[in-house]
Amino acid sequence: MAHAQKIVGRRAGDRVILGAVIFLAFLWVVPVLWVLILSFKANSELMLSTGSAFRLPYTLKNYADILASSGVFRWFFNSVVVASLNTLATLILASLAGYGFARTEFPFKNVIFVLVLLGLAIPEQAVIIARHQMFTDWKMHNTYLALILPGLSNAFGVFLMTQYFRSIPMDIDEAAMLDNASRFKIFWRVLLPLTIPAQATLGIFTFLACWNDYLWPLISATKPEMFTLTVGIASTQTNFAQSEGLGFLMAQAVFAGLPVFIVYLFFQRYIIQAVAGAAIR
Amino acid sequence: MSSIEIDRVSKRFGPVEVISELSLRIESGEFIAFLGASGCGKTTLLRMIAGLETINSGEIRIGGERVDHLPPGARGVAMVFQHYALYPHMTIYDNMAFGLRNIGAARPLIDQRVQQAAKILEIEPLLARKPGQLSGGQRQRVAIGRALVKDPKAFLFDEPLSNLDAALRVRTRVELARLHQQTRATTIFVTHDQVEAMTLAGRIVVMNNRKIEQIGTPMEIYGRPASEFVARFVGSPAMNFLPVSVAGQGGRALLALASGAQLQTNIALEDLPSGEPMRLGIRAEAIRLDSEGSLPGKVEVVERLGDRTHLHVRLADDSTLIAEDVGHSRAAPGDSVNLRIDPDQAHLFDAQGRGYRAAAEARS
Ligand SMILES: Nc1ncnc2c1ncn2[C@@H]1O[C@H](COP(=O)(O)OP(=O)(O)O)[C@@H](O)[C@H]1O
Ligand SMILES: [Mg+2]
Repeated sequence: MAHAQKIVGRRAGDRVILGAVIFLAFLWVVPVLWVLILSFKANSELMLSTGSAFRLPYTLKNYADILASSGVFRWFFNSVVVASLNTLATLILASLAGYGFARTEFPFKNVIFVLVLLGLAIPEQAVIIARHQMFTDWKMHNTYLALILPGLSNAFGVFLMTQYFRSIPMDIDEAAMLDNASRFKIFWRVLLPLTIPAQATLGIFTFLACWNDYLWPLISATKPEMFTLTVGIASTQTNFAQSEGLGFLMAQAVFAGLPVFIVYLFFQRYIIQAVAGAAIR
Repeated sequence: MSSIEIDRVSKRFGPVEVISELSLRIESGEFIAFLGASGCGKTTLLRMIAGLETINSGEIRIGGERVDHLPPGARGVAMVFQHYALYPHMTIYDNMAFGLRNIGAARPLIDQRVQQAAKILEIEPLLARKPGQLSGGQRQRVAIGRALVKDPKAFLFDEPLSNLDAALRVRTRVELARLHQQTRATTIFVTHDQVEAMTLAGRIVVMNNRKIEQIGTPMEIYGRPASEFVARFVGSPAMNFLPVSVAGQGGRALLALASGAQLQTNIALEDLPSGEPMRLGIRAEAIRLDSEGSLPGKVEVVERLGDRTHLHVRLADDSTLIAEDVGHSRAAPGDSVNLRIDPDQAHLFDAQGRGYRAAAEARS
């Protein structure tokens, strides 16, 4: 009896939580839907009243305008290149560094690890002027390298991979040593495959952060053909975008968010794990 | 199969010495157990043989060849880890084949070895699965299989049964014994469980406090413990210990117990240190109920094991000991009883814990 009551009680608790979650999800989704609806409305109609959003007619003109704007495919391509290469390089570097910190001994290891962690505490804005000057001196602005390089010093990635390698029992390495595997083989064939959940987590976060990055591409890429999508789309907005081109503005937001949405669809499972903190284990 | 020689090997972790000048020769084909309490250095010793731990001094030879400078893979030994250490992302087949592939073995040979080992261990249906899909007992078999396929010079087991439940542990124990009879492979088996060591090993190395306490066959260890440590560690229930004073009687030790009872033993007086307090060690099975017995006491607890009964008896001097009675014992708590100690099974231990026994030929 008591047991049955407990289950009923738990169910009631679940319902309260579920209700709260639905409410929060609703709060979150309303603006998204609002953006989506506005993006299908003609700018001229919205100038009169945004209330027209709920009335016919709807139009694809805003999207057609985006695709018609000369630079958009180039910017999209730039973003894909920058975000992909950045993600790939980050995964490689963070894995190697994580393995190094977790599995090898070298002088000043702990000091260096602490220095890496301190990197987590420094906001990008604090160093961005110096960094800009540095790339100016190197004459590297308006190159892919300039857009990719700064992201590679990924302290979070190194930390995550170090912790993940540490969570793999040393027994596994030792069994492989007794199985005549070289150090590289142990890294490549035994340990690295075991870190795939962490790679997925890190890869998704890195890709999304890079795709959405605005500040650095804005000041480093000054030629339109080197804009990333975020910078490029922003550059097409007129001063009166809010009042004269609201529908177009909303369509741009949807367009820029689309790849992120697709990434999410594909890696949903890993993202949920990552956010829930369950990826490590 | 190869012999293993450990020659005056020492090991320190920082300032702490965990193995001190240890020497041991393990014969080819032998099944030997390292037995000792947790933390006494058994795993460290095993890992030094495997090459997973460096040694600070001494030599290790396998099959006559010095190996202490060789990396683990080059020593030709296989190890079964306490937590199995299977490769989680590889199939069972790949887990077993990994070592052979790394030495460039031909594919047909690998396949033949893996299939053969899988057959012996009855894990053939599992070959395509991943370790995560197996039970603890099955993983254990795979870990043994991974060692078996390498046809190693020696098998090293580190507490391989400790993660299994009681029933499975007993079954796996028997299978390990059977496997060793089939393969006759040199085997080192680390355990803190005296029953595992007694039942499996041809010889037991009892370790304590950085050193070897005693080496012997199970019955030597059980019947002639060299020290109080060994006597306490081996046998269940643990041996009884009673303080005694020793007097002479025709060259043989005559023991006076604190309760006033006397016990004439066959232990040669000349072997014993004089003027030291001694302790009598006596196993439960050497203490019987006997109405003529010279040792009176009162039964406090009766433990029935079915085939025999353990009686916890309080003596006149307030010490307690455990005596053994038949399965259908009529003793009940509160009974006053008389006990008789079999003098031929008496052990004496001096203040340092050194053990003394009657010479075998003195008992007829
Ligand atoms: N890597 C290590 N660093 C420092 N001390 C260790 C290390 N490995 C083992 N020890 C110590 O050495 C002693 C023996 O350990 P171990 O060989 O694991 O004992 P056992 O296997 O008999 O339980 C223990 O006191 C343990 O704390
Ligand atoms: Mg151990």
